[in-house]
Amino acid sequence: MSWQEEADEIRRRREHALAQGGPEGISRQHDQGRWTVRERVEHVLDPGSFREFGRATATAEYGPGGELTGYAPANYVLGFGMVDGRRVVVGGEDFTLKGGSPNAAGLRKSVYAEHLAVQHRLPLIRLLEGGGGSVRGSGRPGGTVGEPVHTEPRFRIIAEALGQIPVVSAALGAVAGFPAGRLVASHFSVMVKGRSQVMAGGPALVERALGRPVTKEELGGHAVHIRSGVVDNLAQDEEDALLQMRRFLSYFPASVWQLPPRQDFDDPVDRCEDALLDAVPRNRRQPFDMRGIMRLVVDSGSFFELARGYGRDQIAALARLAGQPVMLLGNDCKFYAGAMSAAGAQKVRRYIELADTFHLPIVNFVDEPGFMIGPKAESEGTIRYGMAAVSAAATASVPWASVQVHKTFGVAGAAHYGPDAYLLLWPSAESGALPVEGGVAVAYRKELAAAEDPDALRAQLENDLRAGRSPFPRAESFAAHEIIDPRETRPFLCEWVEWIQGRLAILPGPVRFSFRP
Amino acid sequence: MARMEVESEVAGSVWKLVARPGTSLEAGDPILILESMKMEIPVEAPVAGRLLELCVAEEDPVEEGQVVAILDR
Repeated sequence: MSWQEEADEIRRRREHALAQGGPEGISRQHDQGRWTVRERVEHVLDPGSFREFGRATATAEYGPGGELTGYAPANYVLGFGMVDGRRVVVGGEDFTLKGGSPNAAGLRKSVYAEHLAVQHRLPLIRLLEGGGGSVRGSGRPGGTVGEPVHTEPRFRIIAEALGQIPVVSAALGAVAGFPAGRLVASHFSVMVKGRSQVMAGGPALVERALGRPVTKEELGGHAVHIRSGVVDNLAQDEEDALLQMRRFLSYFPASVWQLPPRQDFDDPVDRCEDALLDAVPRNRRQPFDMRGIMRLVVDSGSFFELARGYGRDQIAALARLAGQPVMLLGNDCKFYAGAMSAAGAQKVRRYIELADTFHLPIVNFVDEPGFMIGPKAESEGTIRYGMAAVSAAATASVPWASVQVHKTFGVAGAAHYGPDAYLLLWPSAESGALPVEGGVAVAYRKELAAAEDPDALRAQLENDLRAGRSPFPRAESFAAHEIIDPRETRPFLCEWVEWIQGRLAILPGPVRFSFRP
Repeated sequence: MARMEVESEVAGSVWKLVARPGTSLEAGDPILILESMKMEIPVEAPVAGRLLELCVAEEDPVEEGQVVAILDR
């Protein structure tokens, strides 16, 4: 007697699993312009690389004779796969079954995703769509209720994963409750314009609790969350979202026990761009394009911006220099002169800590006029979040290079220089306790009040002080490593990348703090 | 023809009006310049279109998110 009957049963069950929620569930998903989770998995991974985990996991029903009468596959798909030839773990809710809300078998698999990735020290990709728990079935009398007191907290592995492996998540439909929590418990999150909404609780809950009718899009659409900082990046469609996740991972090691992968590159390290010479206007009132400067310096095509819509006074991006993945930070003077807001400070802290966790060197293009001031900034707690950013910089463990492009003022300036930072000054660099204009008004208040022509006195004082802030005396005093022609920025930084390889080599392992959502 | 509101991304005051109503603008052309944090910050046409209306005058204070111009795209 062979086991042919059972072998056939295994094959049938696997076919059931692939059938997902059946033709109706699948076409409902497609009619809404969305891929099924299995299509998403295929698109986010290298072709043909998916190796599913737990294919037999399902909710089965049996008749009195033990015969199978019903079979619903777990509505969470999980497995290994490859991204650009590097192994990852991938998982996502199957929205063709029970609206993505976890069935019992699906929940067991979904909470295992982090364990699997952490156990194998591999990046985790989450493809999220669906709601959280349901009250259905929770009020049955009899039996046991609640989790045993000795149960390990379910969220512990989600928290611990952030300190060990890169975690990237996409909201590919409406996500609420637990899936929304998982979305933000990531190093990178992305949502699809017009297709994704992210909510702690959906419209029905809101109307019941607050008596206010509201749509999903109003509650948690991209217009809300690209500004709130809940989601890092916006994608135009699902394919774009999945490509952004792949791209993010390309800058990161598989875990904190490895170094970021240095790639081959063909952009010359001695490339000097003439456009950098006049990138900063001599007229200090005129803004300039810091992103354009960054793009001209880093390896061609390697600039990948993060959280552009949040904390817009600050810029964060991943890039490569001589093939070495780096975290770029900088100020955007088009947005409140680049002054560090509460949101901007949280963004800076988050990305310093991300770089620190995965050993990416930080390259900072500085134009910092100070913390944002005014009633709104004070009520947002700017100084507290600002000091958190300064503390993250002051205790960073990764090699750090700062290119002082223009201003560095006040305490906020310290958020742009890590310990032992390699400091390059552009001729347009200017630094001090306060910007000249505001500083004169404060320090010479009495003299200005008593002057016959206060405007003339103010202009004279400002000119005198500005002359003393030239970067040349700072270079003479070895208060910077070099003062450079802006065109030389790439050659200097690419050389620095070679110098720091020895320092990077000793960094692998967990950092002393926990990266938190 | 569709009316499109152009909002200011920052708070400040109107330093200079650049484009006149009726002018055809390309995406990225400056409509007006604000003074914000002692810098001259242009408010640019987000898309190509004809400037229908300027909603502010020079020296007016402007809030973040305030509609400062109307375009016909």
